[in-house]
Amino acid sequence: MATTQASSLVNKLPARLRNFFARYPPQVYSAAVAPQPEAPETAAVNAPEELPSPYTPNRDAKGFKHPDPKEFSPSRAFLHSDPKHPNPFLPRKNFRTGKWSGPRVGLRRQAELVKLAIKYNVEALLPPGRKSTEYKDTRRNERGLAIKGTGVGQKVKGHKWERTMEARLEDRRKAMMEMPEMIRLWKQRGHGRGWKSWPKR
Amino acid sequence: MAKKVKSRTISVRLISMAMTGYFRTMIRPRTHRPLSMLKYDPVVKKKVLFLEATKGGRNR
Repeated sequence: MATTQASSLVNKLPARLRNFFARYPPQVYSAAVAPQPEAPETAAVNAPEELPSPYTPNRDAKGFKHPDPKEFSPSRAFLHSDPKHPNPFLPRKNFRTGKWSGPRVGLRRQAELVKLAIKYNVEALLPPGRKSTEYKDTRRNERGLAIKGTGVGQKVKGHKWERTMEARLEDRRKAMMEMPEMIRLWKQRGHGRGWKSWPKR
Repeated sequence: MAKKVKSRTISVRLISMAMTGYFRTMIRPRTHRPLSMLKYDPVVKKKVLFLEATKGGRNR
């Protein structure tokens, strides 16, 4: 019963996806059966700090550092390839010859397949690759938006007016709090005749 | 050599005491006491005290 349902679903898929799944069966290659990425215990998982507001940049945060390619990251762990069944979406190294061979399916075809699979709601059956929605989301979380300074531990210098905005607003607020008292004193002292503390230019 | 004659009036800068950086420039007689007045500051949108500021902050 279940097999007939499944086969009818498979028949609804376009030929291109059917051919792909025939060649790379989901029960072996898909992202769903790949082991879930787990952080090694030694790797310090840096918790995302509070997102910096443009007016209160985090002075202590370090500038953006390009991640070490050997370090653990969820997006890198997501690109999983089983040595027995090499992921057709990833390049692989031949350990005998030491040479790299490109992915069986190039990035352009991967993108086309992923778009098709999304349309037919079978994206989870594709092997993990750089074009998949999950990879893109994970990577965006790690690296932040295309806007500088929105990633974890990133900051931007900003303009001077942005960096000093908070302090200036605070000064202004304090000055305005004291303004009625100041005006009262000024009126009391003959509208400036007895005034001592003149501002510096 | 004759000394350069100083003008009778000077232009002075009146600084908003709301610390907004807004100022007005006025002309007063050199011998007059420093100016101070209530004026509108468009940054805080209120009438605030403006005090004269001179170079070095020395006023009589």
